[in-house]
Amino acid sequence: MSGAERTDARRIVVTGLGAVSPYGRGRDVLWRGLDSGQAAIGEFDLFDSTEHRTHLAGQVRASFDDLDQLGSDDKDQARRAQRLSRTDRFALSAAREAFGHADLNESTRDFGVFFGCSTGGMYEGEGLFEARGSVAHRPMSSMLAAHQNNSPADAVARAFGTTGPIEVISSACSAASMAIEGALQALRAGELDVALAGGADGLCRLTYAGFNSLRAVDEQACRPFREEREGLSIGEGAGVLVLETLEHARARRAAPIAELAGAGSSCDAYHMTAPHPEGLGAAAAIRAALQDSGIDHADVDFFNLHGTGTPHNDAAEWQALQNVFGERAATLPATSTKSGVGHLLGACGGLEAVVTILCLDAGVVHPTTGEGPVDPECPVDLVLGRARALDRCEYAVSANLAFGGANGALVFRRWSEGRS
Amino acid sequence: MNAVVTGVGTIGPWGVGLEALADALQQGELRLSEVDRSKGFHAKSSSRTAGLVDPGVYREWLPGKAARRMSVNSRMTLAAARMAAKSAELEESEVGGERTAVSMGTSFASSEFTARLLEQINENGPQAASPFLFMETVANAYAGQVAMHFDARGSNSTVTQREASGALAVARALYQLSSGPADRVIAGTVDEMSPLPHAILDRFRALARPDADGQELPKVFDKDRAGFIASEGATVFLLEPEELAKQRNAKIFGRVRCAIRAFDPTAPSHDWGTGATELSAALVRGLERNGLAPSDIDRIVSGASGSKTGDRLEALVLKEAWAGLELPTVLAPKSVTGEYGGGQLAAAILALSDQIFAPTPGFEKIDPDLEIRPYDGSPMTTPARVLVSSLASGGAACWFVLESCP
Repeated sequence: MSGAERTDARRIVVTGLGAVSPYGRGRDVLWRGLDSGQAAIGEFDLFDSTEHRTHLAGQVRASFDDLDQLGSDDKDQARRAQRLSRTDRFALSAAREAFGHADLNESTRDFGVFFGCSTGGMYEGEGLFEARGSVAHRPMSSMLAAHQNNSPADAVARAFGTTGPIEVISSACSAASMAIEGALQALRAGELDVALAGGADGLCRLTYAGFNSLRAVDEQACRPFREEREGLSIGEGAGVLVLETLEHARARRAAPIAELAGAGSSCDAYHMTAPHPEGLGAAAAIRAALQDSGIDHADVDFFNLHGTGTPHNDAAEWQALQNVFGERAATLPATSTKSGVGHLLGACGGLEAVVTILCLDAGVVHPTTGEGPVDPECPVDLVLGRARALDRCEYAVSANLAFGGANGALVFRRWSEGRS
Repeated sequence: MNAVVTGVGTIGPWGVGLEALADALQQGELRLSEVDRSKGFHAKSSSRTAGLVDPGVYREWLPGKAARRMSVNSRMTLAAARMAAKSAELEESEVGGERTAVSMGTSFASSEFTARLLEQINENGPQAASPFLFMETVANAYAGQVAMHFDARGSNSTVTQREASGALAVARALYQLSSGPADRVIAGTVDEMSPLPHAILDRFRALARPDADGQELPKVFDKDRAGFIASEGATVFLLEPEELAKQRNAKIFGRVRCAIRAFDPTAPSHDWGTGATELSAALVRGLERNGLAPSDIDRIVSGASGSKTGDRLEALVLKEAWAGLELPTVLAPKSVTGEYGGGQLAAAILALSDQIFAPTPGFEKIDPDLEIRPYDGSPMTTPARVLVSSLASGGAACWFVLESCP
């Protein structure tokens, strides 16, 4: 069933956006940062990188002190707030922003939470592990609980007092895209009317050392699709969408920003860490998302790449683009949000969904930062230097490719009726 | 579209396969093993036992060399998935394809590899980190290994929602089937119980402590329950649309009528909450949305495990959902399987058959606050419809309904 044929109850719109990124807190800060063409990837101090192979990351440096004050008149709430991990705070901040942007009533409680997460509060867990000895004598068992991947989504659901369904997907770098896909399916099926969907992840030693052990990290800030690219840069943050049925949005006179037209996912079934060299799995996910949206590849106006900057990943993604878009792959405007913020792992699909919608709303594609010429072997039409305004900016695809061969793709449509 | 279970593979402390689990449930026997407490994670007074799996019992289900570089979770998942394929009477080459999805769940991911990787980083520096260990610490590694083995190129997801991970993975599988992208889903859950999560669970005071006889036993729903036994294992279903299963004359273990999901915001991050009223309302609403009422349920396969708070919440949710009605027989398979590893999912399949269950082991005294008595050995008829209940610490909740499918 195409998007146009779906009833309002089965059309799913985006009514709120929230973000935490290395540029800072909020979607506006994120947009200004990306629009500037300056990456927020640099030296970081969350932990000592001296002994690591590389020394750059996209670290969130914003203060979240206001979240510590949440419910300060309520003893239980205050205690819970103090025990949030950094990633929990990213999630909560982005969710609150999205909730407010959607102008949802604070008494709304029966919404769902669908999040992607790969590391949760691993950073705090590492601190506890590093101290060694018996975990029995460590303080605050809730901090031990916060290391798990369900923690950021649970923290959001708990803070909002929601009673709706919750689903945490931990499918590495496509986790948030697949969480958004899960929310889309649940909304269409009538399981719920409103969902907070996206992802959150934080920097930690384990992933920083792990990606370096795979020689997958660039010593410079990442350079997606550039000829001299050598790997990714790790980042952190959160991206959250408020999704609701068009029927529900109209009933409460909410103003959609975009439509989540469709989603698709697939698996390479090829290798645990390397993408299929012909990008077959990624192509299948993109094609499935287009089919779910009821649109043709020719309808797509720009592409938000997974664009990690690793030689193999970008090459495989280029193959996937050619597979789906044919000759048009070289002229389809494309950008990599990761060039600005780094790779947010389990959260990247959430933040990149936010950015894709901001681009659709503004009618422009943000530039891909990074040095050097575009790789002639992967000649995407990379938006470089400054944002590019598009004559037609109705549909966009955001795709993610992950460890384990898991791929996710989302199709967003600009909301043509305008914000009421 | 109705989804049916056409294959089941299961590994746990009881051994390998549904028959071994059936024997354990009939005997009421929970096989315990000593936990390795030499790593320094545990307190002196900590719980000492867990429901561990002897790797030798499922070795025959592993694909030789490829399994050598896998974590325990990947090995158990793959072995259980191969078992499920065999029980579905499918050749392994028939299982995969672009319309075969994988939907797995896990509570703790590969805790053993994570601990080893952190040890490498801390003791030898970050550049000593092993790429092999890192690869398998990622929570979706097992789903990826299964996909590679079967060439399953459909959607591939991993749900991490603690004790509800398996039920939520089944719920996601239903959407994969009903919304069109998949004709077959390999769905289930896996967990290994290495020393680190065992010690953390002990720190949460979640685990059973020695009784007067020095034994650690879960006393599910009992007045004196003091915690659960942490187990490891994997259970995998093969799910297909009923129409396609019948076309190929597949044996059908049961139809998954629906899944219902909710959240309890009263739950702290490390424990179960007290929001029984809202959860029971969500359960009843979910049943109604799928054309059912509590009175349509013949049996309950409870997720109660012996946890003080978890069993309390479970009992109160069931009592409120069945208010004014007689509660169906409540089976408590975690008294035999322990918590984690998917034993409850496999037991639910058996509950839909003429399986004989022992009276709930460990249950002696009714808790006056809960007034619930799990299965006591009374004669039972084969049920037509079973509710599987999974409430997780931290707040997640998922139920699904299995029904017979002649």
